[in-house]
Amino acid sequence: MTPHSPGTGQINTLIWIGFFAALIVFVAINLGLFGAIRRNLGGRGRTATQPRARQGLQFRVVGLLSGFAALLFVLGIIFTSNATSTPKTTADGLTSFHGEKLEGPLVIKTTGQQWIWRYNYPNGAFSYYKLVIPVHTEIELKLQSTDVIHTWNVPDLTPKVEAVPGKTTAVYFRADSEGEFWGQSSTLSGQAYAPMRIAVEVVSPERFEEFTTEQQKNIRKGNEAAGQIDSQRAEEMEEGSGDEPSAEEIEAAEEAKPSGSEEEE
Amino acid sequence: MSQQSRPEIAVDGFPRRSRLGSWADMVASADHKDVAKILLVGSGGFLFLAAIELLLMRLQLAIPENTFMEPYTFNRVLSLYGATSIFFFALPLVMGLFLYVAPLQVGARGTALPRLSQIGGALWVAGAVVLYSGFLWTPSEAGVNPLPPLSELAFLSNNGVDAWLTACGFATLGFILVAIDLVTTLQVDRAPGMAWRRAPIFAWAAAVGSWLMLFIGPILLAAFTMLMIDRNYDGTFFVDGAGGAPLLWQHFTWLFYSGAYMLVLIFAFAAVAEIFAVFSGNELFNRQAVMTSIVAVAVIGTLAYMQNMYTAPLGIGWKYFAMLFSLALIVPVGLIFFNLIATLNGGALRMRAPVLFSIGALVMISLGLAAEMQQSLVGAAFYLKNTTDSTAATSFALIGGAVFGGFAALHYWFPKITGRAMGEQLGRISFWITTLGTLIAFVPMALAGWEQGQVVDAYKFFNHTGVNFYNLLASIGVLILFVGVVLILINAVASVKGGARAGHDPWGGDTLEWFTVSPPPVHNFDVQPDVRSARPLRDIRAAIASRAEQAEERAARESQPVA
Repeated sequence: MTPHSPGTGQINTLIWIGFFAALIVFVAINLGLFGAIRRNLGGRGRTATQPRARQGLQFRVVGLLSGFAALLFVLGIIFTSNATSTPKTTADGLTSFHGEKLEGPLVIKTTGQQWIWRYNYPNGAFSYYKLVIPVHTEIELKLQSTDVIHTWNVPDLTPKVEAVPGKTTAVYFRADSEGEFWGQSSTLSGQAYAPMRIAVEVVSPERFEEFTTEQQKNIRKGNEAAGQIDSQRAEEMEEGSGDEPSAEEIEAAEEAKPSGSEEEE
Repeated sequence: MSQQSRPEIAVDGFPRRSRLGSWADMVASADHKDVAKILLVGSGGFLFLAAIELLLMRLQLAIPENTFMEPYTFNRVLSLYGATSIFFFALPLVMGLFLYVAPLQVGARGTALPRLSQIGGALWVAGAVVLYSGFLWTPSEAGVNPLPPLSELAFLSNNGVDAWLTACGFATLGFILVAIDLVTTLQVDRAPGMAWRRAPIFAWAAAVGSWLMLFIGPILLAAFTMLMIDRNYDGTFFVDGAGGAPLLWQHFTWLFYSGAYMLVLIFAFAAVAEIFAVFSGNELFNRQAVMTSIVAVAVIGTLAYMQNMYTAPLGIGWKYFAMLFSLALIVPVGLIFFNLIATLNGGALRMRAPVLFSIGALVMISLGLAAEMQQSLVGAAFYLKNTTDSTAATSFALIGGAVFGGFAALHYWFPKITGRAMGEQLGRISFWITTLGTLIAFVPMALAGWEQGQVVDAYKFFNHTGVNFYNLLASIGVLILFVGVVLILINAVASVKGGARAGHDPWGGDTLEWFTVSPPPVHNFDVQPDVRSARPLRDIRAAIASRAEQAEERAARESQPVA
């Protein structure tokens, strides 16, 4: 994991805190255990002379363990709340979208389905598989699922969150570096669960505007082409000459669709 | 000082068996020991099958984008492995040993409701038959925990999920019946003078574990029934948009799985406590603290079940609540470790196979629980949950508890169950191979999950994701682990007939199961001893020794010439 957002930075720090705490616990237990074994291995003629259990010692151990647990709990809350707090858009980020000032986060509806993710951008554009977002911009992903449980999991950018059918879950984050980031759903969702990967491309705000405009245009073109075929088919049906669309017609309609997308429902 | 002699017991003259064959006898018997033997022998067989299934999955994951298994085949083996390892290996091993040993330890002449245990054992066998016959024609593909909606009819339309639910449901119902029998027996059939404060720690763990099973078992059965209604009678318990909620399933099942996890842990801790005390010649250090901690582990650990749902859409308050319980577990678990280690202090430890496996159990459990502690921090789990790191943590703790703890217990009580000792040499060899295999299998898995976020339950991983070496190593580790497990099982099977005759009390134990012959007769004890302390057999030995001393003195006095 290489954090590229403020939230994942906090998560990474907490993972290291947890690791050192775990290391302390593991080493303490095993040092004690192997030390006791070494000291008390039975030799010839050695007899057991057990010291008496003292109540005070137990209380001191309980106190020490409670303090340790309480410290971890407090650190856990601090870093978790930092990781989930909403990071604001900076001056280099996307402050307006298609001429409209962005007051809050850029909201992208993110829908999991067997076995691909779909992203709906605020201007009506959409894409499959790859999410494109602007850098330094507060993003709100509204996670949903249309079928089974999927887990949104792009470790470098966001916390892991389940998309559960019938629920909408918001994930807030801000990507601070441009580039391509990868993730993979992490809840078994059927046969093609393993290849259900996630790609996130973080681009400049300008490129993001271009991308969404381009997608919108391609979608419109695709819809028009599909509409034409529909009306052509309807005419042919009326004339009684049409059965199945020809292979050329299907090919033409496929070519007119934007890459990585399907017809708008 | 005179040498302490073993108590003399005369029960060998009683007929033990009818004219039926020993297996037929065992199946027809309601004796707690016979039912327990069915569970124990069965769990050994299912450990072998679970190890094969794990090996098959690791072969698929040995190299990137492997085509050894189809995705659906992988999911089927995964689903089968989940059920086998939990419902048909770990839990029957735990409940079986509790059922065999705990009534003997409290001096009971049988169990209070033997027919319940007998029906419980039969249900468990029926579950196993349903699971594996189901696997042959319509296997489940829904994974270790069949989460709805994936496990609903709309997504998995054959009968595989139904068979899986029926099999695990039968097994769970069986465990519940055994638990009812154990709870009743341990409450009402203890020997005179055996107050709870004097009860052996393993018997105490059996009581706590049985109560825990009585709490979590019915909840799982309710969830299974609801899913069956959803699948077969148009129910909507877990269907969103129709008044149901997919998350409800997670609440029910994670509560059960967390409780079962704690059950395995308290079983292992209690077995290690018995073994450390006997083999170091000491008393369990601060028995009361350990007894209290066992209850605390069962309660707090089960209530921390939402730790498994950190990535689910729950309010953050619930996640902090789960984190609070998970971290609170540090106190009782730490106290148990402290007192187990302190038990060795001032002792004269005999390093035999049960002790080796006990040490292995503590090392693996401490490794697993330390890693679980890291993942109990909500923020850390946002990355680590559902990675192979979390699988490794759970595997360390459960293999530590069920395999190492289970085999420590089996090595220890094997002479009581069969009258013969398990092979010491083969025991040591299998211990080292199993330890090596576990470490080589799960440390790389933990690293793949932590460094690269490799996800769980996936039938393949991709090239150039930085996990190729870790996966290859993990697969080699599982192969070594498999060899270790097979050696342990061979040792157990070979020792049933070919092991050295162990006598009635080979380890010099202090608890009452060593008061009777090995294997014990149907009625366990001819005489129920009067218990005066937590080490009743030691008291009996001391009484016999002092009587012998008195007799010697009297004889010496009488032989002196009168002046």
